[in-house]
Amino acid sequence: MVPAEYYFLLAMVVFLLGVAGVLYRQNLIMILMSIELMLNAVNLVFVAASRTVGNVDGQIMVFFVMTVAACEAAVGLAMVIALYRRYGTVETNFLRALRG
Amino acid sequence: MLETVLGFFRENDFWLEFLITVIKIIVVFGICAQIPPFMVWFERRAPAFMQRRKGPNRVGLFGFRLFGLIQPLADTIKLIFKEEVVPTGAHKFFYHIAPVFSLFTSLMVAAAIPFGPPLVILGRTITLSVVNLDVGFLFIFALSSLGVYGITLAGYSSNNKYSLMGALRAAAQMISYEIPLGLSLIPIVIIFGTLDLNSIVVAQANVWDWGIFRAPISFFLFVIAMFAETNRAPFDLAESEAELVAGFHTEYNSFKFSLFYFGEYVSMFVLSCLASICFFGGWQTGFISQNDLTSLLFGIQPLAVLVGVLMTFLKASFFMWLFVWVRWTLPRFRYDQLMNLGWKFMMPIGLFNIVLTAVIAGAIAFK
Amino acid sequence: MGEWIAFGALAGTIIMCALFVVLGRNPVGCAIALVIKLFALAGMYGVIGADFLAAIQVIIYAGAIMVLFTFVIMLLNVPPDSRSRWDRPPVEFLMVGLSVLALFGVGIYLIFGAFAGEGVEVLTRSLVTEQGGNTLMIGRLLFSKYVWPFELASILILMAIIASIVIAKKYNTEES
Repeated sequence: MVPAEYYFLLAMVVFLLGVAGVLYRQNLIMILMSIELMLNAVNLVFVAASRTVGNVDGQIMVFFVMTVAACEAAVGLAMVIALYRRYGTVETNFLRALRG
Repeated sequence: MLETVLGFFRENDFWLEFLITVIKIIVVFGICAQIPPFMVWFERRAPAFMQRRKGPNRVGLFGFRLFGLIQPLADTIKLIFKEEVVPTGAHKFFYHIAPVFSLFTSLMVAAAIPFGPPLVILGRTITLSVVNLDVGFLFIFALSSLGVYGITLAGYSSNNKYSLMGALRAAAQMISYEIPLGLSLIPIVIIFGTLDLNSIVVAQANVWDWGIFRAPISFFLFVIAMFAETNRAPFDLAESEAELVAGFHTEYNSFKFSLFYFGEYVSMFVLSCLASICFFGGWQTGFISQNDLTSLLFGIQPLAVLVGVLMTFLKASFFMWLFVWVRWTLPRFRYDQLMNLGWKFMMPIGLFNIVLTAVIAGAIAFK
Repeated sequence: MGEWIAFGALAGTIIMCALFVVLGRNPVGCAIALVIKLFALAGMYGVIGADFLAAIQVIIYAGAIMVLFTFVIMLLNVPPDSRSRWDRPPVEFLMVGLSVLALFGVGIYLIFGAFAGEGVEVLTRSLVTEQGGNTLMIGRLLFSKYVWPFELASILILMAIIASIVIAKKYNTEES
């Protein structure tokens, strides 16, 4: 079998790509997608760890993370739609109402 | 020569399994590939029969007309040899990948369907489904939920507002009706206590054990959701020709168009098989058990398996006929009616049905 | 050996698609790349032995969340990013790169320093089959030990439904 470290490494790479996406992208929808990348990476760590720990508690955590991710996506996209209605754009560099 | 080959497979179990799986894939694909041509023909002959017309009966081969059964062959040849026109401004990659995606998801679902009882040849048991999963139910839901992408991508990439509208409608419809479809099958899972499709069929040996008698509400919900999920009439808003030209596949022609058709008919077939497995006992005849049937057929197990496979196809073909029957009987729904039906009528009933089934199953278990 | 091959192929797909999600300009392309990535991740769950999660991953993520994303992208007709990919002040690149590198260092330390040598397979396939399969194990635990979080999750979903309807609803702005 593949040692859990390799799964952790892969998860970390994906997580960091997600971090880079959140910091770097300007489109709000793309930022939300990057957040999904990060959540997924965490899920992979949970699943890989659950096998080495020897119970399925980790997999249940993934179940809950998925629930939260679904809620986050729904609310986040609703906010994106509301923002689009208000300002006509979803790019962060045009959304500067709070910048004074 | 033959002896060496046989000896190799006897020694290497992995490669034997591999070979069997490849054969199963080819057979299932072959079955699925025969469905669309036949259904294209049937879908024109059946309404002709209902409306007292003749329908396509002319095309023949070597002077044999065969009720026009060669017609789909002629249609296919025409479609394949048509010139391919890619619209200007289309997103090339997605435009080409969308029909493939649509077909891929339908065919993948077919992989989990058990078409017959396990076959015993030379002491080796072969299940008659390509993948034999503990979570066959979830596998089917997972892959059929991906069917939306083929449609949305087709609509998006065509650079045509009618296509995009049709795709958005289709996507909204499929997401909405996936929920009642899932909710309608949960009572089946509760009753039979397994997610494995083969075990569900095994549990329905007697006619009165069939899903339709144990969960009648589920059956009705499933049939309605099945029509909506495959975008068929009376829920074919995605391709309502009077408003949207042809919906998401307006800009598709030649072979790619036929791939969409292929995908649609395969998913109809797969859902028909699923309906027959969950509610009509799949490959069970209903009154005679598999062992009795084998002894009745002189103890030749493959013959009994053949009877089982025929039963599956018989039951599935009933639903295929239902698809055609309903299409030529009912008018199309309006969009708001469709959404109201899905969210305000079917979803509450589905939830109520789950609670009811759970209470009854719990009462039986505690008795 | 089989697991290594599957891991390599799936990991390659995952990283390629994740890169595309972060760097691609067309939102629909990014969404589709993310779908493929989620699918590959589901395959990886299957390889690890979490069959239930593999199916749930595809149903929830690829079948629901990403459909929502593509839906919104098409509904708003989001154009590709207005600024070019590299047209940024160098300070921004530096900050993104530094923060990612710092996190990378911490992660490497944690994986190979703090947790090294824990890669022994305890939950083997045969053990799972002995206990009635992956789905049954998760179901048992979910409805006994984790029943309260489970109920709370359903309330969370209800709240999210109401919130997203309220937020995305079209109000008549001239009246208010």
